[in-house]
Amino acid sequence: MISMRNVSKTYGADKPALYDVNVEIEQGEFVFLVGHSGSGKSTFIRLLQRELLPSEGSIVVAGQDLTRMKNWKVPFLRRNIGCVFQDFKLLPNKTTYENVAFALEVIGRSKHVIRTQVPEVLRLVGLEEKINSYPDELSGGEQQRVSIARAFVNRPPLLLADEPTGNLDPATSLGIMSLFSRINKTGTTVLVATHDREMVDSMRKRVIALENGRVIRDQDRGVYGYGD
Amino acid sequence: MSSVTRIAGCTVMAINVGYFVRESVQSFRRNWVMSLGAVITIYLSLLIVGASVGSSMIVGQVVRSVEEKVSIRIFLKDGAAPADVDALNKALVGDVRVKDVKYTSKEEALEELKKTTLADSPEIVDQLEVNPLPASLDVNLKKPQDVNAVVETIKANPGFLKVADRPDTPEKSLKYGQQIVNQLFAFTSALRVIGAVFIIMLAVISLIFINNTIRLAIYARRKEIGIMRLVGASNWFIRTPFLLEGVLQSLLGAFLALLTLGSVQWFLLPKLKESISFLPVSLSAGASVQISLILILSGVIIGLAGSAVALRRYLKV
Repeated sequence: MISMRNVSKTYGADKPALYDVNVEIEQGEFVFLVGHSGSGKSTFIRLLQRELLPSEGSIVVAGQDLTRMKNWKVPFLRRNIGCVFQDFKLLPNKTTYENVAFALEVIGRSKHVIRTQVPEVLRLVGLEEKINSYPDELSGGEQQRVSIARAFVNRPPLLLADEPTGNLDPATSLGIMSLFSRINKTGTTVLVATHDREMVDSMRKRVIALENGRVIRDQDRGVYGYGD
Repeated sequence: MSSVTRIAGCTVMAINVGYFVRESVQSFRRNWVMSLGAVITIYLSLLIVGASVGSSMIVGQVVRSVEEKVSIRIFLKDGAAPADVDALNKALVGDVRVKDVKYTSKEEALEELKKTTLADSPEIVDQLEVNPLPASLDVNLKKPQDVNAVVETIKANPGFLKVADRPDTPEKSLKYGQQIVNQLFAFTSALRVIGAVFIIMLAVISLIFINNTIRLAIYARRKEIGIMRLVGASNWFIRTPFLLEGVLQSLLGAFLALLTLGSVQWFLLPKLKESISFLPVSLSAGASVQISLILILSGVIIGLAGSAVALRRYLKV
């Protein structure tokens, strides 16, 4: 699903944000990407979305070489990658239903597809009761569920999450993580960038640890593992 | 890997026209002050375009009709020897540039005056004791451009001085329309230059206005645009509402300009026609359609150009 070979990313003349990263992630895997702030997690995620291009090396996502991809093809790549963020990125003037439906509307899905897929995915994330609520009427955990529903409504084979529980309390975070786990069980590859130690330690999934832009550890059924 | 086929399957996209129109109208309403500014500047520039194109069409028509009427009139002195007149007549008829020559006697000249200029009060003519009008030879030309050359030939003809009513100032024995034509041409070319300068200035201002409204529209919707990019909306899907908004503004401006020009044509032109009845001041239906097309087309071009510039500068997709 994801293959990064000798990937480096340098912003300007500074020291590299990522340096010589080699990572292979198979389809259907659940992977945590851990590290301190500034360790290169966000750069890692943005490279996979092709928000950024690597300074060196090659990245293949879903069989597509991102470094050789034409700009106009990028939207079609992104339809295969669901993204979840710390700040939810919901539209405040749209209801839960509309926020999720928007993701399908703008890629030209038919009304019929929207009417069947949106309620289905809202049931999956447990928000069928709140389809007509606006984001400011929802709790943080609920808002993150809406954003996960939006990321998953098109059934992408890959789901990326950048600090999805950064704004949530531990109990709510647990709920969100178990949701990711359920999505992973449908066959979707899930990559979660986080510095939530308890979460990583309790889930016992594959952990890739970054420090100063380098991969310092990559272990199956791993733990957060930093001394702080 | 199944995901490869999924990517290929995504390229087919149904375009939702209703979505685009809704988005651009909504954005137009959200930034109505800026939009109004854009509409007004486009309105003014297109109004000037339309007015100058229309008036140059009318003037062109007037020039043509004046040119058609260009003839050289040679006034003859009373009691000129018929043999001399005949000799001049023959010399003129023999000229390849001359279409025909017509002799108008003193009596005929008076009759014509009575019928045209003095049609309202023919009794003035009847009160005259002597006929003050000279007889004349009217020379019609094949091409109006030859008028000056033919005038020179006539002046050089010794027979002309023999019959001219003012042999000491032969200039005054000749009347021809070239002066009017030259003045009209000077007037229209000045009009064109002034119009072009104004049009360019206003076009630049319109572009700046559209650029600004689109920038505001992009700013107002930056969150949505971010999400659209995130979930893989195609670049054209994101851009189209903004392009459409720019075109919508200019079309509105063009429509208002057409409305103004139309009412000028409807209400003012007939009055103008009345006051200068000797000139054919009118605009054919074909010309009106032509002007409308020019305005609408230039409106669309200005709108597209303005929003395209804004999209390049402010919308990274």
